[in-house]
Amino acid sequence: MRLLILILLPALSLLLQSTLFGFYSIYGVIPDVVLIFVVVFALLHNYKQATIYGFFCGLLEDLYVGNMIGMNALAKGLTAYIISSLQVQVFKENIIVSVLGVLLGTIFNTALIIIIMLTVNKPLVFNVDFLWKSGFQIMYNMVLSIPAYIFYYNSTRTGWLENKGND
Amino acid sequence: MLKIILNKWLVFVCLIVILSIIGVAFTASQNTNNVLVRTVRYVYMPVQSGIDAVRNNWLNIYDFFGNKKLLNQRIAEMEKELDQVKMANNSLNEYRHEAQRLQTLLDFKDSNIDVYDLVAARVIARSPNNWTNSLTISKGSQDGIAENMTVITPDGLVGRVNAVFSQSAEISLITDNEVAVGAIFAENRDTTGIVEGTGQDNGLRMVNIPYYAKINENETVLTSGLSSIYPKGIVIGTIRSVETENKGLLLNTVVIPAVDFNHLEEVLVIINYHPPDGS
Repeated sequence: MRLLILILLPALSLLLQSTLFGFYSIYGVIPDVVLIFVVVFALLHNYKQATIYGFFCGLLEDLYVGNMIGMNALAKGLTAYIISSLQVQVFKENIIVSVLGVLLGTIFNTALIIIIMLTVNKPLVFNVDFLWKSGFQIMYNMVLSIPAYIFYYNSTRTGWLENKGND
Repeated sequence: MLKIILNKWLVFVCLIVILSIIGVAFTASQNTNNVLVRTVRYVYMPVQSGIDAVRNNWLNIYDFFGNKKLLNQRIAEMEKELDQVKMANNSLNEYRHEAQRLQTLLDFKDSNIDVYDLVAARVIARSPNNWTNSLTISKGSQDGIAENMTVITPDGLVGRVNAVFSQSAEISLITDNEVAVGAIFAENRDTTGIVEGTGQDNGLRMVNIPYYAKINENETVLTSGLSSIYPKGIVIGTIRSVETENKGLLLNTVVIPAVDFNHLEEVLVIINYHPPDGS
């Protein structure tokens, strides 16, 4: 059940991003819900599990988009690794942890995607609009991280995502 | 023991990094249509269509609850019947708007029947990230859609078919910064240029225009027909402003797209094109 939910979360997030958030984007910006769940997962699990989960979530997104397969897998895998490495000493019951985690995660993920896109000569326009949209997406992700973290944290303690085996 | 586990982990990480880099390198220049991508699409397609249907009926459901509240307030005033009529009217209005949109498409299709063979399709999903500008439509190879077909609305050019699946297709919008369209001006037909997406919210610009070209603001920009993808004469947008590039030999212009990409619900795919002059 736990594994099924863990697979369904990014799959449904991707569906939400392409339908609901896609049709009703705010100023043309859609949140990265898959990334939010990857970061939330990374905050509550060790770096190995986080990296693998981030990689497969990113791969699903890449397969959905059908272009540059591996870009999101690499970016989300590395982002999950960084976040889970940083989270070891933080107090996880504080909601601020998720907000800061998603803030850092979105910055890392965006930076990694930019680096990968520039490496394969994909055209990118860096101007005020780009910065504004990136900043707005960070805020959008931070806001959505709050309900996502509450849901995820509670589920890992007493709900469907409770890990009854060894971590 | 720890060493072996650590080594296994390092091997695994190296493997996924290398595989990702190879994947990105091989799929960077064009969309992939391999079995994994197709499988993901086939799984998502019916769910997307379902969500699209719910989205289209949401207004009716919203009106239902809104009107129900009103209805309760007016029961005392014996206006129950009137509210039901209002509710039905809202629903009919929604259908009327949809019928008008479809009628516009049909009129356009009829008036261009000699020039284009068109297939109408509903937009069922949009790009799931902020890095690409694309749409998913409800028609695919089963309906005669193929890669690189031009996608339009009665207002103008939307983009081209980028990837085709059996029951859906992905459209790259002209606002995507990887899409370029050969263009001419509606009045000054000698001047050509290239319209490309800025990658930002519905942004277009026309570049490679000679410095001596006379361009008026609000002039209409059309497809030039010089590329093998886009037929000639489809409206792209109108000129908003003209700038001289740094070296002064070329002009570039900001173009306002003719199509409102934020509110696209139905599109037409040109599956065949018969030029009027027979060329």
